[in-house]
Amino acid sequence: MLALENVHTYYGKSHVLHGVSIRVEAGEVVGLLGRNGVGKSTTLKTIMGLVRPSAGRISFEGQDITGLAPHRLARLGIGYVPEDRRIFRLLTVLENLRTGLDRAEVTPSRRQELLEKVYASFPVLRERRHQAGGTLSGGEQQMLAIARAMMLEPKIVLLDEPTEGLMPRMVAHIREIIDVLHRDAVAILLVEQNVPLTLAVAGRVYIMEKGAVRHHATATELGANAAVIHQYLGV
Amino acid sequence: MPFDQILIQLINGIVSGMILALVASGLTLIFGIMDVVNFAHGELFMLGAYAGVTILAATGNFWVALLAACVIIALLGAALQVVALRPLVGRDPLTTILATFGISLVLQNYALWQFGPVARKIQEPFTGHFRLFYLEYPWYRILIAVLSAAIIGMLWLFMKYGKYGIWIRATTQDRIMASAMGIPVPLVHTAVFAIGAAMAAASGVLFGPLVGVNHAMGLDVILRAFIVVVVGGMGNLGGSILAAIFISLLEALASIWVSPAQAVIVSFVVLILTLLFRPTGLFVPTPK
Repeated sequence: MLALENVHTYYGKSHVLHGVSIRVEAGEVVGLLGRNGVGKSTTLKTIMGLVRPSAGRISFEGQDITGLAPHRLARLGIGYVPEDRRIFRLLTVLENLRTGLDRAEVTPSRRQELLEKVYASFPVLRERRHQAGGTLSGGEQQMLAIARAMMLEPKIVLLDEPTEGLMPRMVAHIREIIDVLHRDAVAILLVEQNVPLTLAVAGRVYIMEKGAVRHHATATELGANAAVIHQYLGV
Repeated sequence: MPFDQILIQLINGIVSGMILALVASGLTLIFGIMDVVNFAHGELFMLGAYAGVTILAATGNFWVALLAACVIIALLGAALQVVALRPLVGRDPLTTILATFGISLVLQNYALWQFGPVARKIQEPFTGHFRLFYLEYPWYRILIAVLSAAIIGMLWLFMKYGKYGIWIRATTQDRIMASAMGIPVPLVHTAVFAIGAAMAAASGVLFGPLVGVNHAMGLDVILRAFIVVVVGGMGNLGGSILAAIFISLLEALASIWVSPAQAVIVSFVVLILTLLFRPTGLFVPTPK
C-alpha cells in the first residue's frame, strides 16, 4: 500500500537518506528500528511530505505521492504522529481533535462516532476536552497526538517513537492502542528504540543504519537473531 | 480638575482606539500566522477608503460602500498574498519586509496617480449630534466605535468557534503540524491576509468621514498600528486590541494638557518602555 523506492533525502547539504526502500501492506504493522540519528524520523518526514526527497519514488495505494503537500497526504489517509508530539498547545483537547475532524465529508453522526471512539480508547481526553493541550502531561499529550491522527480516519499511521520518555504503564497503554488500530485494519509504520515492544506488535521489521535499510526480517525471525539485534541496535 | 474635558477625551480615546484596534488586529493576525510584517497594511486601509469614496459616489449608500470596499480590498489582499508573499514562504523574513514595503510604495503612488493629490471626503451616513457638556458630539463617532467593536467581536467569535478559526489558530501555532493534519496551510495564509485586508478597508471607510481621504492617509495610521502591535505583543490579537485602546486613551487624556501633536509622544514613550521592560508585549502573560 505504501512503498518507498530508493528514496534519497538531504537536509541542506547533508545527505540523510541514502536510497531507502520500504513497503507497508494494508493493515500491516511494520517496525523501523535503528540507533539515534540513522534517519528513521527523516524517513517518516519524507513520507509525510515535510521534507522533499531529492531522488526516489514514494507511492501510496498505487498513486505516486512523491512531492505532494502534507495536507494532501493527510487527506489521502496518512496520519502522522511526530516524535515531539506537536500538540497545538493553545488549542483545547477538543480543538486539537477538530483540526483533523472538521472535514467536509464528515457527517455530524460520523463525527460523534469518531470522537466517542477515541474517548473510549483514551478516557482521560474526554475529561480534559476543554483543557488547553499544553497543560496535559507528556503521556496525555502522546495520547492526544495519536487520537488527533485517528480523527483523519487514516489508512496508515506513521508513529514516531510513541513510547519515548513514557512511564511503563503508559507504554503498555500505547501498545494497546497500536493493537486497537491494528484490529481496525489501519496500517502502522512504527519507528521505535524500544526493541521488545516493536518485536511484540510488528509483523515485519526494517533495521536502518547510516541512512539506509541494512536488515529486513519478520519480527519472529529477528527476535530469534540476537546477533543482528546486537550488531545494529547494541542491545 | 476639568471633569467634562476628561470625559470628552475618554470618549474620543475610545473611538480612535477602536478604529486603531481594527487596523492593528489585521496586522497582528497576519504577523502571527505568517511572520510577515505587512508594511502595505496602511495602503490597504487607504485604498479601502478610496474604494469607499468611489462606491459611495456611484451608489449613494454608505453601507453598500463599506461592504463593497471590504470585499474589493479582501480580494486585492488575497491577490497580493498569492503573487508577492506565497513565493517567499520559508525564505528569510527580510524578503517579506522588502516585498510588502515595495507593495506599499506601488499602491501609494497608484492612488496618487489614479485619484490625484486633492483629498476626497466621505459623507458620513448621518450627521446627528448629541449634547456633551459644551460640545455637540457627533453620533457618527459613537457609531464608529460600536461598529469597530462589533467587527472585532465577530472576528473573535469566528476565531474561537468557527471551523476555519480553529484552522487559523492551529496554523498560527504550528504550521507544519497543521498541514500534517490536512489543513491547507497556503490557503489559510491567503484567507488570513484577505481578512486582515478587509478589516483595514473597513477602518479606512469608517475613518474616512473624520479625515480627508488621500494617498498618504495610511502612513500615520500604520505607524500607530505598529506601535500598538508591538506593545500588545506581536501576533497577540487580544493584546493588540487592549494596547490600541490603552494608547489611544493615554494620548487623548494627554492632549488635555499638551497639544495633540505633543500627545503623540506618549505612544512612543509607551513603546520604548515596553521594549525596555516587557519586550514580548505588555499584555502577554509572563511565560511560566
